[in-house]
Amino acid sequence: MTTMNRAYMYVSRIVALLLAVFFLIPIVWMLLLSFTPEGQPIFGGGFHFSFANYAKVLSQAPIFGWMGNSLIVSVITTAMVLLLSSMAAYAFSRIRFPGSKVLFFLFLSAMMIPAEATLIPLYLFMRDIGLLGTRTSLILPAVAGPMGIFIMKQFFDGLPKDLEEAARIDGAGFFKIWYRIFLPLSRPALAALGIFTFIGAWNDYVWPLISISDKAFMTITLGLPMFQSSYVQQYALPMTANALAAVPVLLIFLLFQKQIIKGIAFTGGKEM
Amino acid sequence: MAVKSIAQKKSMTMGSRGLARQGWVTGVMMVLPYTLFFLLFSLFPILYGLRVSFYDWSLLGDKEFIGFLNYTTLLQDEEFRDNLLHTVLFTLVSVPLICGVGLLLAVLIHGIRRGQAFFRAAVFMPYVLSVSVISSIWVIFLQPYSGLFNQILRTLGIINSEIFWLSEPMLAWASIIMSTIWWTVGFVFVLFLAGLQDIPASFYEAGQIEGANRWQTFWHITFPSLSRITILVVVLQTIASFKIFGQSKLITGGGPAGATKTVVFSIYENGFQTFQMGYASAIAFVLMIVILVISVLQTLILRKFES
Repeated sequence: MTTMNRAYMYVSRIVALLLAVFFLIPIVWMLLLSFTPEGQPIFGGGFHFSFANYAKVLSQAPIFGWMGNSLIVSVITTAMVLLLSSMAAYAFSRIRFPGSKVLFFLFLSAMMIPAEATLIPLYLFMRDIGLLGTRTSLILPAVAGPMGIFIMKQFFDGLPKDLEEAARIDGAGFFKIWYRIFLPLSRPALAALGIFTFIGAWNDYVWPLISISDKAFMTITLGLPMFQSSYVQQYALPMTANALAAVPVLLIFLLFQKQIIKGIAFTGGKEM
Repeated sequence: MAVKSIAQKKSMTMGSRGLARQGWVTGVMMVLPYTLFFLLFSLFPILYGLRVSFYDWSLLGDKEFIGFLNYTTLLQDEEFRDNLLHTVLFTLVSVPLICGVGLLLAVLIHGIRRGQAFFRAAVFMPYVLSVSVISSIWVIFLQPYSGLFNQILRTLGIINSEIFWLSEPMLAWASIIMSTIWWTVGFVFVLFLAGLQDIPASFYEAGQIEGANRWQTFWHITFPSLSRITILVVVLQTIASFKIFGQSKLITGGGPAGATKTVVFSIYENGFQTFQMGYASAIAFVLMIVILVISVLQTLILRKFES
């Protein structure tokens, strides 16, 4: 039995290692290609490590501008989602007011509606109100998603009832209780929701593709393929552009790995 | 002293009544900001879209009411039917694959104590990249002559002539599915891993006492304990698969000859390339209904399961 277990341990380690290599190969290869001049072999014939591709890409495309747009859109979206949905979720969880059940049910049902289904009307509406093609047009619909309310309400419902009793006896209003007691306590839930919202906003592709046509307002997700489409049978510069877009995200991931993975597990576990 | 305490009591009851009234107002005030966003950018577009779907509606806003014509046209639109079929097939193949691979990876890596963080990070890492980055990486990765993938297969002796991954319908789909697994399986994996960590050790001890082998343990203890998370993962993946667009647009461009176009691709093309807003809205509504049905089925199955 123990030899069986030991054998299993070894085999599973080797299999896991192979799989990890498989998962890392495309990313490592991307980095290697980005440091190798076009047409040169990555290995053999000497090592051609250079930053020339990076200099070229940065001089040909406003990569940092696009990343800046992505950052602005994602940060504002995330901040607004955290603020508005935790505030509303608190009211749904702790305050009795007329229509609260109906309203919550409405939000809950809207969770099932895919964003892809409202692309056309959103396009027409944004054009009517003169926001089409702006970064604001990317933020507004993302803030309207009801997922945050649901996650935060689940979390607030799980907090003990007597938590706010003392504060209420001291005369604190609901609003004060929300930001003085509930917000500080809900850091893990806020982190999870924030990570989810940020990744979603950063990676959004379809809606920016339709809304944004001005190169200056493009997000990196949108600008990248546009830049790459001008290169046929050339791989070094497109790969370098990929690396430029990927490295900051990968670094953030490596730094906050634990929180990100916990956050995903948290939302998944609590989503129903 | 007594007077004071009565006064205090009185002010407290007054206070709580005041609080109840204040609570009413505060509640509404706290819900209001989000509700405005919701009404304007979620609910209104849905109703607007429904209206547009009953019109012949051009990009510039010329519109003519045509009743259900968009929907009846849809039934005979062969391209839409093909794209719907592609989407259903993709969903049927990719959902079991992604969920299965995710579960396998989770079980495998859950059993590894030392270095677990490394394996977890390696599998999850692609998930944080955007669809543009992963698509471009895979397009270059799959290039017949210069791409690394064919080189690896050749070195391993699996192939002896170059495979043109993106020029055959079946291979193009295989490419999309491979890259999608690589990109998103980390999400499923993390959910399963969290589920595995929540299974109490006593469950396994009971199995050990009865002398269950590894497979029996998995089948009778691990898998049933993960059933809630499995349903969640399957539903999330089904919905996500049904909405596939980015990979198809960016890896294959919908080709070869439209073989990898999907339902969202139909919305995109009809809405923003031939500018038939009404027709595209009708497609969007069909998509919405399909996804609603999946979601409702999920809720029903879950209820049945939990009771």
